[in-house]
Amino acid sequence: MPHTLRTFVRHAILIAFSAMIVLPLVWVLRVSLTDKLTAYKIPPEIGHLSLDNYIEVFRSFPFALWFGNSVLIAVLATLISLPFATMMAYAAARFRTGGSPLWIAVLASQMLPPIILVLPLFMVFLSVLPVDSRIAIVIAHVAINLPFMAWMMVSFFEGDSRSLEEAARMDGATRWQAFIRIAVPVAGPGILAAGLLGFILSWNEFLYALILSDSSSQTLPVGLAGLETHAGVDIAPLAAATLLALAPVLILLPFLRKYLIKGLSLGALK
Amino acid sequence: MAAIELRAVTKTYANVVSAVRNVDLTIGDGEFMVFLGPSGCGKSTTLRMIAGLEDITSGDLLIDGVRMNDVDPSKRDLAIVFQNYALYPHMSVRENLAFGLKLRHLERAEIARRIDGISAMLGIGPMLDRRPAQLSGGQRQRVALGRALVREPKAFLLDEPLSNLDAKLRATMRTELIKLHRRLGATMIHVTHDQVEAMTMGERICIMRDGEVVQVGRPLDVYRNPADTFVAGFLATPPMNLLPGRLEAEGGQLHAVTDGFRCALPRAYAEAYASHAGREVIIGLRPEDFHETPDRAGALGGLPVTLTVTTVEALGPETVLMASLMGEAGPEIATRVDFGREYEVGSRVTLHYDTAQIHVFDVETTKALARPLVSAG
Repeated sequence: MPHTLRTFVRHAILIAFSAMIVLPLVWVLRVSLTDKLTAYKIPPEIGHLSLDNYIEVFRSFPFALWFGNSVLIAVLATLISLPFATMMAYAAARFRTGGSPLWIAVLASQMLPPIILVLPLFMVFLSVLPVDSRIAIVIAHVAINLPFMAWMMVSFFEGDSRSLEEAARMDGATRWQAFIRIAVPVAGPGILAAGLLGFILSWNEFLYALILSDSSSQTLPVGLAGLETHAGVDIAPLAAATLLALAPVLILLPFLRKYLIKGLSLGALK
Repeated sequence: MAAIELRAVTKTYANVVSAVRNVDLTIGDGEFMVFLGPSGCGKSTTLRMIAGLEDITSGDLLIDGVRMNDVDPSKRDLAIVFQNYALYPHMSVRENLAFGLKLRHLERAEIARRIDGISAMLGIGPMLDRRPAQLSGGQRQRVALGRALVREPKAFLLDEPLSNLDAKLRATMRTELIKLHRRLGATMIHVTHDQVEAMTMGERICIMRDGEVVQVGRPLDVYRNPADTFVAGFLATPPMNLLPGRLEAEGGQLHAVTDGFRCALPRAYAEAYASHAGREVIIGLRPEDFHETPDRAGALGGLPVTLTVTTVEALGPETVLMASLMGEAGPEIATRVDFGREYEVGSRVTLHYDTAQIHVFDVETTKALARPLVSAG
């Protein structure tokens, strides 16, 4: 195959796959900027563009409350899980705590359809905590995200970080000091990446938030799902709300990628 | 400064793999000891047990007479320089140096004074505010050394600190470390697999193999009187020629005999070797004990040996001749001769072997047969 043809085929494949990812977003953007009638037209029309739908989202629905709940729950769940996940990952990397059975259990729990765990969790919460509250959702998210974040971080504490800690121990640091002052800062980008991923997972989580929330503690995914009613889907405001809900994730993703790459090359000082 | 003593120290992993077995060793106060051996011989594990980074399975470790087996590494007051330097990547050079001092709650002025002193000594002053990633290999090595020195510990443990440097820098740092040891008079244990480092740096070397100490002694003593064929073959490049042969008694004199080589042993050795008369042995001949003229081959005048040259390696100050005894079919040996004369491959040459330097090893145990020690001079 000649060089130019090969380049053409390669680009065509890449463009096709990129389009599969980008086109729905572009479609949602178009819908969010048009009125309900234009939104459904095939072939698609651009029509008159306005920000009316965005204004309506705030005016007709408790969007600010959902957004605030989502931020609060995702931030709290991440802040609580991150230190514990870091310590768990460190213990696993250094002392093989739990051995491989622990990680098989962690991965197995991630493989379970979430719906299987929802009802037992609901029953547990019913007996010890107020369900239909933000704190219940935070705890549920910590329970789901913590093992996954820890699993992700184990590799960041292996390798060169071990000899750095040994150097610190020889310098007079206790194991805790070596952990806090050497291992954690060196694994910093990796920990940050895990934190960002935890935040995004919590931000997007739907099922637990649906079961454990009431109208005052609804998060964005639950609120957005509520826009689909028996009377139909109010597609244009839903598109606007979807884009607003996506915004924090879109802002965080480049950082996640940056820190993840940095985290993977941790301590690579040869 | 500190004296370090290991008594029957053993390290076993998972109750099966024995990494270090029964090491008995005393490193004197202010001594420069080198642990030498091939990869996996247990030298680094022994060093790490001294540092406290590995648990001791059995035996005792004493520093200045105090048992340290269960003392945390942070409390042993030893400093280690790692092969990969292990500089804290998120700290500047200055912070790297100050880290251990801050942990000991030294006053700021004292920390600054020590850092200034060490950075002047090692020439790392201009890079104090840089991060390790911004330094070259040699500079990182200096900083790692500085981090050990600045603490003024009881002893320094050096875990192959020169092996990541290029050959030229390695030679420079070798000299600097020797000077540093002389200046500080500190106890130093240096782990290496490089026999040149061991020979040039150590006041004594401890040669290890398969987790056991094979021989301990002053470098030239070990070199001249290797305990077994492993040590004989490990030290020096090219190493000692080890040839299968036998000891034959003839006319009241003992001869070491192999294909194309028959050497009457000096009378001083004959008595020591008498028990092996008529038995198979391994004969050890150092390449540099072959000389071009008989007058340089020792007091006994040397044994003429005729060789067929197979390879010539002119190294500059000397030439390494690979040559076979008994024509091309005989065993090949290495010899080192002075530079200045040109040799041709295939030509026959007569070199003179200094018979007083001969080594004889038992075939089964591979240990050197006891004989009067050859002094290192």
